[in-house]
Amino acid sequence: MMDIFFSIALSGLTSGAMYALATLGLSLVWGSMGMLNMAHGAMLTLGGYAAFAVVGQMGLPGPIGFVAALGAGALVGAVLYVFVVKPLLHTHVASFETAVLMATVGLGTALENSILLSFGGQPLSQPVKWEGMLQMGEQGVPHQSMVVIVVALILMGVTAYVLKHTRAGRAIRATTQNRDAAQLLGIPVGRVYLQVLMFSGALAGVCGCLVSSITQLSPTLGADPMLKAFIMCVVAGLGNLPGAVLAAFALAFIEAMVQYVFGGRWGFPVLLTLVILVLIWRPTGLFGRAQVRRL
Amino acid sequence: MSPPKHDAVLVLEGVTAGYGGLTILRDVSLRLPAGHMVTVVGPNGHGKSTLLKTISGLTQQSGGRIWVGERDLTGMPAHAIAGLGVAHIPQGDLLFPEMTVEENLLMGAYLTTEQAQIEQRFEEVYRLFPKLASRRVQTASTLSGGERRMVGIARGLMMGTQLLLIDEPSLGLAPLVIDQIYEAIGALKASGRSILLVEENPARVAELSDEMHLLDDGHIVWSGLPDELLKRDELLATYLGG
Repeated sequence: MMDIFFSIALSGLTSGAMYALATLGLSLVWGSMGMLNMAHGAMLTLGGYAAFAVVGQMGLPGPIGFVAALGAGALVGAVLYVFVVKPLLHTHVASFETAVLMATVGLGTALENSILLSFGGQPLSQPVKWEGMLQMGEQGVPHQSMVVIVVALILMGVTAYVLKHTRAGRAIRATTQNRDAAQLLGIPVGRVYLQVLMFSGALAGVCGCLVSSITQLSPTLGADPMLKAFIMCVVAGLGNLPGAVLAAFALAFIEAMVQYVFGGRWGFPVLLTLVILVLIWRPTGLFGRAQVRRL
Repeated sequence: MSPPKHDAVLVLEGVTAGYGGLTILRDVSLRLPAGHMVTVVGPNGHGKSTLLKTISGLTQQSGGRIWVGERDLTGMPAHAIAGLGVAHIPQGDLLFPEMTVEENLLMGAYLTTEQAQIEQRFEEVYRLFPKLASRRVQTASTLSGGERRMVGIARGLMMGTQLLLIDEPSLGLAPLVIDQIYEAIGALKASGRSILLVEENPARVAELSDEMHLLDDGHIVWSGLPDELLKRDELLATYLGG
C-alpha cells in the first residue's frame, strides 16, 4: 500500500511540477496581455532541442543546456513581441485577441516544422539529465524527478519574487490590472509586454528541457504540456498565477491516481470531465473573478 | 513649431481629437498659468474626459498642438507624457484592484528610483489623506468609494509633479466625502501646483477656480471667471440644466 501511494505521489509531484511551469508562462501572458499564446507549446519544444543542440551536439556541459533552453525561449518571446504583438497592439481589444491567437498558431507551426526540418522526426534522448536513482528504503526516486521538482520550485519562487518585489514585476502586475492607469503613471506598456513574453518564453524553454528529460525529444513535445497548461489556466481562472500552480499540482495528482487505478488511457478523459464540471459550477474558474471587458 | 511665449505650464491650441472615426473634441484652446486652477465644466458625454485623455496621451490627437512648458506633446505616447511631469488622475480612479493601498501609491512613484524622495512623497500623501495611512495594507478592491478616490488622487501625487489633471473628483461620492476631497484639492492648489480640473457642476468648484471654461459638444462655448458663469442663468440653464 505504501509503495503505491509513494509512486502515485512521486508521479503526481513530478508531472505537477512540469505542468505548473508550463502553466505559469501561459497564464502570465494570458492574464497580463489578454493573449492566448498558441505558440507556447512550440516554445517548450524549442527549449528541449536547444538544450540537446548545445549539450548533445556541441558537447558543452549540462548546466549550459538549461541556459540555452532558457535563452532560446526568451528569444522566441522577443521575436513574438516584435513581429506579432507590437504591430497588433494598437488594434481594437477584441480583434487583437483573435488576430494574436491566429498569429501565434502560425508561429507555433513554423517553429515546430523548423525543428522537424533541422533535427528530423525521430525521437531523441535528452542529454541534459541526471541519471540514476536515489534509494530511500525500499523506494527509489529517479534523480531526474528530483531535478524537475527542484528546478520547477525554484522558478516558481523566482517568478513570485520578481512579480511581488521588483520594480519590473510591479509594473507587470500594474499593467495586468489596469493598462491605462499604468501608462498614465509612466509605465511603458510595450516594454512590459516584451518582458512578459521573454520571461514566459524562458519559463517555457526550461520546462521543455525538463519534460524532454523525463520523456523524449520530438517535434511535438510541447503539445501535451501546452494542452494541459491550457486546462489548468481555465480551471484556475484567467491569469491567476497561484491558482494555476495549485490547479496544476491538484490535476496532476488526480491524473496520476486515475491512471494508476483505471489505467493510463483514462487519465486525460477524466481530466477533461473535471474541467467541464468545474466550468459548469464556476464559469470563471475556481479562483477566477468575473471579468468585465470593455469593448 | 516653436512654443508660444507665455508663462503657462500647459497650452492647448485648436486641439481636435476622438476615437476611431468619431471626432469628440473640436478646436479646443486653453491655457493653464503656473499655480492656477482652471476648470472645465459641461454636461456629461460632451468631451470633458476626452480632453484630459488627449492631453495625457490616452486618446489620439488628430489636430492642433499641446504644449507642456516648452515641449510639444504631439505624437508622444502616454508613458512619455507622464515622464514630462503630467499627472492625470482619471475618472473612476482606475486603481490596481489586487494591489494594496501602499502598492498602488508606490506605482505612482514608478518613475522615481530615489528611495528618499519616494518616502517623502508617502509622508506628504498620508498627511493629506490620514485615512490612507491606516488602510496601507488593505487591498484596493475592498475600499469604499471615498477611500478609492483618495488613493486615486494620492497615487497621482506620488508622481511628484507640479501639473495635475483631475477628472471629476466628486463623481459618485456622498456630499460629506466630496467636501473632504475638495478640501484636499484646495490644499494642493495652495501648495502651488497647477491644476486643470474637470467637473459637471460649476458651483462646487467656483471658489477654487481661477478660470472656467464651458465645454459643450466638444468645443468651448464660454470662458471667463467662475463668478461670471454662476451669474449667467441662461448659460447654466442651457448647458447644465439649471
